[in-house]
Amino acid sequence: MRRFLSFIFVSLLSSCFIQSTTASADYHEQLVLRPLPLSALLASFNFRSNTTLSAFEAHNFRFFPRSLGQILQHAGTRELHLRFSLGRWDAESWGARPWDGAREGGTGVELWAWLEAETDDEADHKWLTLTNALSGLFCASLNFIDGTRTTRPVMSFQPEGDHPNSTVTNMHLLYGVLPHEVVCTENLTPFLKLLPCKGKAGIASLLDGHKLFDASWQSMAIDVRPVCPADGGECVLEIEQTIDMVLDIERSKRPRGNPIPRPLPGHELHCNSSKPYHAGDTCFPVDSIAHQDWSLSQLFGKTIKGTCPLTDPNTPPVCLQVPDSRAVSISEGAVEKKNGDRVSRCFDIPPEADFELALPRPEAPTSPPAQGESEDGIQLLIEEEVLVKPETPLLYAERSFTGHGQERGGVQTILRNPSPDTAVEFIYMESLPWFMRIYLHTMAARVEGQASHDNPSLIHEVYYRPAVDRARGTQLEVRMRVPPASTVFLTYDFEKSILRYTEYPPDANRGFDVAAAVITILAPGSGSESSESDGAGAGAGAGAGAGAGAGAGGGQQRRFAAAAYSLRTTSLLCSLPTPDFSMPYNVIIFTSTAIALCFGGMFNILVRRFVAADEGPKVGLGPALTKLGARLRPAFERLVRRKGRRGVDGVGGEKDL
Amino acid sequence: MNGGKAIVGRTSTRTAVLNLYLGAAVLRLALFTLFRGLPDLLTGRVEISTPVTSFKRLQEGLFLYNHNVSPYDGGVYHQAPLFLPLFSLLPDFSTLPVFTYLLYIAIDLLSANALLKIADAGEAGSSALFTSLRRDKRWSGLVVAAVFLFNPFTIATCIGRSTSVFTTCAILHAVAKAIAGAPFSAMVALSFAAYLSMYPLLLLPPLVLLSFDRQLPARATKSLAQFATSHVAIVGGVLAALFGMSYLITGSWEFLPSTYGVQLTLSDLAPNVGLWWYFFVEMFDSFRSFFLAVFWMHLSCYVGALTLRIRRQPLVVITLLMGIFNIFKPYPSISDSSLFLAMIPLYRHVFPLMRYTFLVAAIIMYTTFLGPAFYHLWIYAGSGNANFFYAITLVWGLGLSLLVCDLTFAVLRDEWEVERPEMVGKDIRQI
Repeated sequence: MRRFLSFIFVSLLSSCFIQSTTASADYHEQLVLRPLPLSALLASFNFRSNTTLSAFEAHNFRFFPRSLGQILQHAGTRELHLRFSLGRWDAESWGARPWDGAREGGTGVELWAWLEAETDDEADHKWLTLTNALSGLFCASLNFIDGTRTTRPVMSFQPEGDHPNSTVTNMHLLYGVLPHEVVCTENLTPFLKLLPCKGKAGIASLLDGHKLFDASWQSMAIDVRPVCPADGGECVLEIEQTIDMVLDIERSKRPRGNPIPRPLPGHELHCNSSKPYHAGDTCFPVDSIAHQDWSLSQLFGKTIKGTCPLTDPNTPPVCLQVPDSRAVSISEGAVEKKNGDRVSRCFDIPPEADFELALPRPEAPTSPPAQGESEDGIQLLIEEEVLVKPETPLLYAERSFTGHGQERGGVQTILRNPSPDTAVEFIYMESLPWFMRIYLHTMAARVEGQASHDNPSLIHEVYYRPAVDRARGTQLEVRMRVPPASTVFLTYDFEKSILRYTEYPPDANRGFDVAAAVITILAPGSGSESSESDGAGAGAGAGAGAGAGAGAGGGQQRRFAAAAYSLRTTSLLCSLPTPDFSMPYNVIIFTSTAIALCFGGMFNILVRRFVAADEGPKVGLGPALTKLGARLRPAFERLVRRKGRRGVDGVGGEKDL
Repeated sequence: MNGGKAIVGRTSTRTAVLNLYLGAAVLRLALFTLFRGLPDLLTGRVEISTPVTSFKRLQEGLFLYNHNVSPYDGGVYHQAPLFLPLFSLLPDFSTLPVFTYLLYIAIDLLSANALLKIADAGEAGSSALFTSLRRDKRWSGLVVAAVFLFNPFTIATCIGRSTSVFTTCAILHAVAKAIAGAPFSAMVALSFAAYLSMYPLLLLPPLVLLSFDRQLPARATKSLAQFATSHVAIVGGVLAALFGMSYLITGSWEFLPSTYGVQLTLSDLAPNVGLWWYFFVEMFDSFRSFFLAVFWMHLSCYVGALTLRIRRQPLVVITLLMGIFNIFKPYPSISDSSLFLAMIPLYRHVFPLMRYTFLVAAIIMYTTFLGPAFYHLWIYAGSGNANFFYAITLVWGLGLSLLVCDLTFAVLRDEWEVERPEMVGKDIRQI
């Protein structure tokens, strides 16, 4: 991973230097393709453009998208980070995340920004402006980021850009997340429109909603930040648009006309020949290197349409990370350049021609296994010839619900530190909806295998801002440490509240999405500086940081060194108890009847007086009937009399006939 | 018959009382310690713990309070601020829970003691303005206290550590002090009850009347208006002092909307045995405030009516109001039922006049067993929906309101028979 990043960084940095000298290339783009184990391919698209701050202030947009720029100016945004993500990064097989997780969001939409404002209220107002404007720009429900979904993280996020000290004091960090938002094509189209070449040329021409949202994992990111060159040159506003996607090669290659998966014919299987039962008719497939033959047009359905004419010519537009030993065929006119680190190469593309890149099927090693070599060793050997081995991430994290029923539950996060000798210090942040009432006193961290239930050395500091019903969500930030080569369980309990029936979404029984937890791993050494500040309260779980939570506008931002790595857990689906949506009228009627019965009963007893059963006026059915009969009798008799007369007349009439 | 006579002694001997208390305390301590999971199980029951009395929420509030986060700046803790320093003084619950257990047992015993005094004073049968013909037929304080202490509802509330036991204790002491001729203490106790749960404030009119009727002759105030004004002022003063202390403890007034505001607006719709929660889950948004006002007005309209109609027996008014609150308050629990049911045995003399005792007993048993079952079906099994539990709360409310109406009828007939002694045992009707 770090190799990948350093490589990108170096290539970008080199282009930065070139750009500062020529001052003409303010835009560049690059696609990095990296095959991953288990028939996956990571494609990282990166687009970056700059504008000087003075040009930006003067509404002079060249590469910087005008639509976004005006929104940022209107909302007083100093730094913006927007993420649209889908799927799950499988760290166990794919290793560390691209960009060290810095360009990644939790499932759904995530937005955080530093706004310049004098007061918290002003910041809230600007945040409202910003979310509504972005909602329109990106066709996403960002306008639903209201007070209940907005938090002000204290430790988890640090500004990425260079901000002058005069503005830092007035900068407010706001963070909003929409885990339920379904990221789809309508978000990609406005994303591409922000690019100078609009997806018509260059690497962006590969991007297509059908492929992007069919990926196993994808994350679209927009980052806007001011960058000041170290040599004191003019500061620039930089917008970086990133799309990372992990394609399932097998699924992508499946032709559209024949979408049903079928088993491979026997001669196409990669077999592990070291198995004792390996023979002509038995095969143990080598999964991790299966389907490692592909071409751009197979995966994306099209080829790259030349280069974007505006891009910096010194940045190679396409790079591939496979061992140098693998053969790669490219279309005519393109130039392959090996980077010298034996695992990556880049390609220069002719500006007008289509570019196609194809990897042939890797050759299975023909040499029989040497004596004494283990099976895994062989496997590893094969893999190393085909793939660049993924780097181990600093931390594995998974989060899940515990308990059953719709009344209460628990959240358990399993944090595993794979490193044999280095402890990992990180900040674990949850932003939970208000209807999950968490009980902070039940929060506990324990190392797997150790009996002690609450280990004070794990949790260093807690910042907690409890939820208020219908007004704001829970914000929980925990600075904690995982010892080397151990697994830590972080657990806490919560209670599910029942909502008003109008507050449930139309599909209430599906459940409510709970946003991903954000884990920000601190660079080694930055923890010591902060551990002095929390002092006495640290050992007890909720430390001094928790005190800051009481403040009306949230606490002050804590400064840590830049994050070394960040990752997000998956989002959760929390099912709440539901009322019967079909019977509001019935409930109102039944309850009112019960109340009326009690009230009427009491009223009757209180206002009426007692008499003996044979005293007072007679009431009841018997006397009433008598009274009714007495009233009806004269009328009845009259009727009978009249009838009798008419009967006599009738008889007379008959006679007439 | 003889055995019955022995129990129905006039006064309770000291040893018997001590044995009773000891038995009740040992039973509770045994339940606390022998069944490890029981306290937490009962704390989690919606029938016992409401959002305004739950012990788990108290622990959370205490945790936040001890870590300098305002517990009222959140949606979990809705209980009175003075609980926080009180429980902070106890040793840490997670390591030494026995002190909390002992506190709850002591509170139950104090309540029982107050009830015993009320019963032994004989106020239920013969008040200052009224003496029942049947007053000789009554149970001693020992029996009444035993009925309270061994009522499963009381025990469940104690084991579930609901903080409503403090309110129960304060109300019973207010009544006991009023009967004992100590109006000032009664008012202070009532202020505490009102401070903890707000609704006991509605008991003020009958309690003032009760204190007025039972004043010690030596320093009696003749004018009711003067007496009432001064004692309402006492309650106001004590409440102001309590609020002031709460302000000093929490440092802001935000506890007021978070404790009393929640009861007034029912913002937390957690299921309970009352009638409010489902009604306001299903209520249309535009009518929410209207029906909140109607429900509160309905709850308080009984106070004036009963106080005026049954002026001669203020204790009856207090009992009936407890029954009404138990049905119609925003967050009722079986703790309120245990308080109401504890007062019923004081009216042993009107039992023969009650008409639906069997029906009421059957309904209470029915709902007690079916309520948890239906809740399970809704929340855990998923084979029932919210209407199951709602139906049971409806039946529960109807059963209890039948009991309240029946008791009112019996008491009023008892009053009427004093005027017309010849009607004892005859059929009567109301016009």
